[in-house]
Order: sequence, then structure tokens, then C-alpha cells
Amino acid sequence: MNFKKLATFFLTAFFLLALVGQGQTQVKLDVKEHVLSNGMKILMIPKPGVPRVVCHIYYKVGSINEGPGTTGSAHIHEHLMFKGTKIMGVTDFEADDAINRQIDELMHKIYREKYWKKDGDQAKIAEWQKQVDELIQAEKKYIIKDHLWETYMKNGGTGLNASTSSEVTGYYVTLPSNKVELQMFLEADRMMNAYFREFYSEKDVIMEERRLSENRPGFYFSEQVNAAFYAASPYHWEVIGWMDDLKKVTKEDLIEFHNKYYVPNNAVAIYVGDIKPEAIIAMAEKYFGAIPKAPDIEPIRTGEPPQYSEKRMYGQGPGLPSFQLWFHIPPDGDPDVPALNILASILSGETGRLTKSLVKEKDLAIRAMAMSRPQWYAGAFTFNIVPKLQAAAKPEEVEKAVWEEISKIKKDGVTPEELQKAKNKTEATFIRSLESPMFLAMRVGRAELNRGWRSLLTDLEDMKKVTSEDIKRVAAKYFVKDNSLVAIYSRGQAR
Amino acid sequence: MKKRNVLIFGLLLLILAVGAIFAQVTRPEDLKFPPLQFEPPQPAQYRLVMSNGLRGYIQEDRALPIVNLTAIIHTGRLYVPKEKAGLDSMLSECLIKGGTKTRTGSAIEERLDFLGGAISFSVGERTSTLTMSILSKDLDEGLDIFFDLLMNPEFREDSLTLARGKIIEQMRGINDNPSLVLNREFEKILYGDCPLTYQETKATVESITQADLKAFHKKYFFPKNIILAGAGDFNRNQLKNKINKYASRWANQSLAFPEISKKFPEPEPGIYFIQKKINQGYINIGHLGLEDTNPDYFAVQVMNFILGGGSFTSRITSKVRSDEGLAYNCGSRFNFRWGFPGTFAGYVQTKSSTVGYAISLILKEFERIRQEPVSDEEMETAKNYYLESFTDFFQSPIRTMINFATLELQGKPMNYYSTYRDKIKAVTKDKVMEVARKYIHPEKMVTVIVGDFEPCNQGSEKFPGPLDKLGKIHRVKLLDPLTGQLVE
Repeated sequence: MNFKKLATFFLTAFFLLALVGQGQTQVKLDVKEHVLSNGMKILMIPKPGVPRVVCHIYYKVGSINEGPGTTGSAHIHEHLMFKGTKIMGVTDFEADDAINRQIDELMHKIYREKYWKKDGDQAKIAEWQKQVDELIQAEKKYIIKDHLWETYMKNGGTGLNASTSSEVTGYYVTLPSNKVELQMFLEADRMMNAYFREFYSEKDVIMEERRLSENRPGFYFSEQVNAAFYAASPYHWEVIGWMDDLKKVTKEDLIEFHNKYYVPNNAVAIYVGDIKPEAIIAMAEKYFGAIPKAPDIEPIRTGEPPQYSEKRMYGQGPGLPSFQLWFHIPPDGDPDVPALNILASILSGETGRLTKSLVKEKDLAIRAMAMSRPQWYAGAFTFNIVPKLQAAAKPEEVEKAVWEEISKIKKDGVTPEELQKAKNKTEATFIRSLESPMFLAMRVGRAELNRGWRSLLTDLEDMKKVTSEDIKRVAAKYFVKDNSLVAIYSRGQAR
Repeated sequence: MKKRNVLIFGLLLLILAVGAIFAQVTRPEDLKFPPLQFEPPQPAQYRLVMSNGLRGYIQEDRALPIVNLTAIIHTGRLYVPKEKAGLDSMLSECLIKGGTKTRTGSAIEERLDFLGGAISFSVGERTSTLTMSILSKDLDEGLDIFFDLLMNPEFREDSLTLARGKIIEQMRGINDNPSLVLNREFEKILYGDCPLTYQETKATVESITQADLKAFHKKYFFPKNIILAGAGDFNRNQLKNKINKYASRWANQSLAFPEISKKFPEPEPGIYFIQKKINQGYINIGHLGLEDTNPDYFAVQVMNFILGGGSFTSRITSKVRSDEGLAYNCGSRFNFRWGFPGTFAGYVQTKSSTVGYAISLILKEFERIRQEPVSDEEMETAKNYYLESFTDFFQSPIRTMINFATLELQGKPMNYYSTYRDKIKAVTKDKVMEVARKYIHPEKMVTVIVGDFEPCNQGSEKFPGPLDKLGKIHRVKLLDPLTGQLVE
């Protein structure tokens, strides 16, 4: 145990509290942090109350780390993390491993025959598939089904889940406060020793998951809109990935993915609830501290180039109609972002400008809102309107009304009352977000992986400084046709 | 100086911790955890009765400068007559937006937004809730608005016009989402035409007037028909006094709740197929369930956890998803509703060609849990899950207060939580089989499928069609959502 490091921790904690105390904000966020020698961050927020602890681990990896041919990998990988390790999910690792190698060899042949050739030999494929099915049957006796999940469940784990976004993948469990060690044991084990059993049936599960999305009204169109908006940056594809890639991605692809991204220097673990930080640190040193540091990971290379032209899309299908207007904006941390965020707040909500104008005054829509989504590398500011068919609202009229609102902002900015309301809302929402341990863990953990958790506080301060002039300036800068995409979706038979 | 003391203290703790807690283990089963004692909070400790019999469960919680307040009203969709179907949706939309005698809806929303507060109202099946979260510095103003909305809503005409427009617009899409269609049609088959399944149409929504909403409000919104739940940054006695100011001016009504029959049709078993050109079948297989006041409730929970309610640790998920890769989402569930039997269903969504196969696997699991005793390991996992996650009921003070208020409003035993763990512990393997046989009846089940008939009927290698191998096929036609009439 490294005492010097521990001392640094306690000093850091106090330094932070002091900082927050001297700041102007009344918002207090007391996060204790500890960095392991392999670079892994441990964050802790003690919240006395019921004896439970939200235990989350976040990896700085998501669908933006994929490329053509492997889209959907981050999410497939998240599923595979529940499929065992060298010690979890298996009774006899050596015997199971031997069978798995044979399965992989056969599947490699099948994939080549099926996907590399135009007219693969169906008889061969069937024969190999038969052998695979037999091996899968033979493997069953060594598999302990969903061992990790069951272990968490019988120890009172709730909120048990995982999620993949464009930027971050998280693994969640809430445990009784005396059982945090279980999470450290299991998470360290699967970071180090993940072993992807039942790979091929799990890919089938994920294709079913994609089909569920496809059957959601409007999915196909929104997937295309997103892809059209991000031409170059890897936000181009959805987290779920393209169906072709889901079919063809291989286990080797996923193992490579794991070895590159599931390393301690790319992870943060966060504990919120009834905890003693010194005990958490000692356990983290023992379990996560034993994992070797891996090479640093290069940030995403491809940004979104300027469009220099307007994009327009029309689609038809089930579900409610929609009118969308998208603009490219810079990512999180850019000095223009606070003004864009405040503007989105002023435009949205029941008392926002868009509802007042499009829903209440002009009777053109049933819902009207704007969203500012800067993201980590390339952002979007979007206007989302649900036109009112009874009023025979034409998309062109809605479009005109939205541009009128934009022009007003560009010309006159916003009122002092609107500005103050948006700032009050932002601050109150922030305070409210501190109530739920689970939500708090998510916000702090994710923020840490991008610009550090303190960015939550500095962003709040920056938003309080936004003026009407700032808003006029960013509106003029980003809300221009050559930076936009218009997407019009109407009810109809086609998908 | 202080800093240094803490530092040394921290080091000592750490040395102790390292020595005491850890011995090298290689399997999670070998981890030893320190004991954990938890006694649930007692409802009586938080209960208050205010003027005119307004009841509340109120807890001080000074951690953040916020107050959360919820009013739970005994009223809902079930008390709306058929010809006014949709009155519940209109009430949800208009209670706040329609303003009060002295405030317009816009003024209320503007003011709360400006204060960074949040308020929402929703009408459920038999309970409705008005929920507010506000910074504690604005508590007095928040309370004034909160009680004004509960006591004096005005349902101004402009709010009704907006709400009608929105509800009718959303109505157009209600046959588009396969899972919504599935659950709605499943309930219609099981409950028949009754207040639980009335469907609003354009005509019923357009018929609802300000007078209807005012009459409905007057009938159900009075102190003795409401329980408050509150938690946050306030002094409990002061809050009580503040609330009394309003409650003392709020008259009670005499109310007889409409009688609702508990007689439901016995649908003919078999397949009920709803055509939709999609690439999966969305499936529910089941029948009516039981009420949550049934003494078998806890045994049913444990049984269903093993069958298909315990996500990955349950049999259906393990077989259908994990072994066969047939679905992302599958399992079984007992839904419960206050005062009426809920539903029981096995559910799965799978690509069209494996619809028949997935159904056959779920049916096998229904039979298995009725015929064979569950294993000791399954019992241990299920019971431990409920016992060890028990504290989750009390995650936040406001959650706890809402739980207590709901128990009392629904007339359930107030010792529900204090006896919960003992009741789970008392469930035996024999009891699990007994309730499986008592509450799961494959011969009476309806299988409702939303999907594309031809590929579903064709099946695949492991389960070639036709689907009528699984029972008589009834083709169900959807109604036009706007008119409530058959299309074509």
C-alpha cells in the first residue's frame, strides 16, 4: 500500500471542499477522488441514509470508437461482458476453452464461405453449422449460465444493467453497503479476464434488439437523418450499428476491442451512498490496482467538416409526423456552448418560445422544442416539432415559423426575464440532480471521462454568465442554411 | 492542524481495513461480508392528520435545499363513464394548464419555471398524483400554487382546446407501435368491454367540457380523499401549520365510488393474431392473474422470479434469450392493479420465423414449473434477491413517504414493509409449486401476437408452421383510433 498516495488523496479532498466553499455558487458537490498507479480513477460521494451503495464503472469507449465494418461493436461488447471470464460462468475453463476454439475455427470458415463469397457452398455451411451446434451442446455442461448476473442478484443487486452510448459504456449495480467488495471483485475480473462465451447466440440477441428498434415508428427515418447530418464524424452511425456489421463482426474483432479499451487507464469507478472512502480506496487498490496499465488511447481523429450546403430529407412511415431542423455546433467545452445551452432552455418547455408561438399562438404544432447536444467531438442544435395534422399544418409553414423565431433571436436576443428563468432552471435542475444517487453517479462518472467532473460546476458557472448579446452572436453564427439539415417526416405507408 | 489529524486518522483506518477485511479469494462465493442490520422506517412515525382529515406522511430531510411534495388522490380512469372516455387524459392535461380561479395556467407555469420548480399532474387507473419539487426558499409560494391547483382549478377553455388537439393528434399513432397495440389488445381480450379497457375516441374527447372536468374535480378532490407525501428541507411542524391554513378552508364531500363489476369474460383459448407488416412477432401468452392483497402474493413473486421475472436468472430468459438467441426481451410477469385481478403473461418479441418456436419454449417452462419442484439454488437466489434488495424501497425519503401514503390510501396493511422479509422467508419449494399450479393455467391461455402473419405462420426448422398447431387462430382487426370503428 502506498501511503504517500493516500496522503495526497486526503489533501485533495480538502482542497476541493475549500474551492467550492470560496466559489460563488451555492451548489456543493463533494466528490472524493483517488487515482490508482495504473491510471484508473476512483470517485466517491458519501451520502448517508439507507445502507446501499450505487456502484458504477464507466469506460471511455462507445460507438464513436468503431469504424466501418465494426459498427455496433461497443454495444456488442457490452453484452459480451456478461458472458463470463476465466473464473466466472464456467466450471472447467480448460475444457470449455478447447471447445470454444473449435467453435471459433468452424465459425471462421462459415463466415468466409457466407460473407466473403458471392455464391458460398451451402452444403459446406450446413455441415459446419451442424458441427457447431453439436459443440455448443457439448459446451453446455461447462457453462454456468449468467453467473455474474445471478451473483449480483442474490446479493441484493438492483439497478443491475449496462449501457452503451456514442462516447461512454457503463456497468451498473446498486448493492447493500456491506457488499461493495463484490462489485470490485467482479468488475476487476471482467476487465482483466473477460471470456466471450456464447458469442454467436448473443449476436442473434443483438440483432433482435436492432429489430425492436426498427419496429419503433420513425426509427428508420431518424437513423438516416442522423447519418446524413454527420457525414464524416463517427456519430454518423447509431450505437446499435448497421445490420450488416452485426452479422459479420467476428469474435477476434471484439477481443481486440476489449484489449484496447477495457484497461484501467480508460476507466473510472464511482461509488455513491453509504460509504467510507478509506475503505473503498483500500479495496480499489487491491482489486483494480492489480491490473496493469495499458498504452494510452488516441482521441477520435475525424471531426465534422463544414457542410457549405443545405441538406434536406423527406420521409414517410408510421408514427407521428415531425419537422426537424438541425445545425452543427461545437463540442462540450467550447466557449459558445453555454450560450447555446441557455438558448435551448429559453426556446423549450411549456413556457418556452417555441411552444408559445407554434403551439399556442399559431396552432401549427402539438409539441415544439429545441435541444442543444454539444457531445464530446461534434455537436448538434436541433429544433423538433410535431405538426398538428388537424390544423392541416404544412411542414413548410412550420419551417417558416421556426425561422421566424430564429430571426427574432438573431435580431433582438432574449429578454432579461427569459435569461434569468433559464439560469434559475439550470441551477435548480442541477441541485435536483444531486438527489438521486444513481443519476449523480451517472453524471459525475461520465463527466470525469471527458473534461473531469469539475466541469459540471464550471459549466454551471459559465451558463450563469451568458448574456443576451452572447445568444444573439451564437444564433447568427450557427443558425444559417449552409450549416443546416431539414428533415420532414409524414405519416404514410412506406417505412 | 485539523487537516493533519484527519490525515492520521485516515491512515489508521486504512491500515486496520487492509489487515482485517482482505484475504485472497478466487471466487465471489468465497467473499465474506460484514453483517448489515436494517430496520425499515415505521409509517406511524411520519403520519400526520391535518385539518378536515387531510392525511400526510411527512419527513424532514435537510441534505439539499429542496422540498418534494406529492398529493395522492383516490380517483382515476376507472371512474370515468364510457361516453366520456378520455376525461382522464383531459384532466391530466388541464389541471395545471387550465389555471385556477385567480391564476391563469400560463402564469402558474411561468412562475414555477422562473423559480426553477417543477410541477406535474397525472391521472392513473384509480389514483392520481400532483407532484411538486421546489427550492426550499420558495416553499411558501410553491405551497400556495400547489393547494390552489388542488382546490380551485378552473379548466379554462383555452387549455381544453389545446389538450383536445394534442390528444386527438396522438390518437392517430396509437396503432403504430406494436408493443402498445399488443398490451392494449391483450387486456381487451382478458377484461372485455369494461372501465379497465374503455378507449377514448375523437368524439368522446370532443364531448368533454369545462363543466365535466369541474364536476369530476368537485366529486373527488377533497381532504379526506387525499393523502400527502412530503420530504425535504423544512421543519415538520411548521409545514403542518402551513398546510392547515389551506386544509381548514377545504370542505369535504360525501362520495360513493361507482360500483365496478369484477366479472370478466372467459375468452376462448387460442391464438389472437393482429396483422402488422413488421419483421418480428410481439407476443403475450396468458390470462388474468390475482390481486396483490391475496395471501399467496409473496409466493407468487418468488415463483415468477424463477419462471421469468428475475431477468437473466430466470428460466424463460435463460432458455429463450441466452441459450437460443431468439429475443432481446422475454420473460413472464404478473401485473397487479388495486382492487382487481391483474394479468399474468409470458412475453417475447422475436423475428417472424421463430415466433412459433419461442412460444413453444415459453409454454414448456409454464408446464415445467407446474410439474417439477424448483431447485434449492433457484429458491436461494430468488429469496435472497428480495431480502437483500429490501432496503431499495426506502431509497429516498420522498419515495418512502409515497410508499406509506399509497398503502394507506389503498387500505392495505400498514405493516406491509415490516412483515415483508418474514413473508418472503416463509415461502417454500412446495408453496412455489402450489401457486404455480393455482395461478398458471396453460389450457386457458390466450396467445396474442402482433406481427406479419405469413412469415410467422411459416415458422422455421425448429418449429415449422402452421401456427394453428398452438391453438385455434382468431384474426383480430384493429379499430380506427379516431372513430373506434372497424376499418375497411
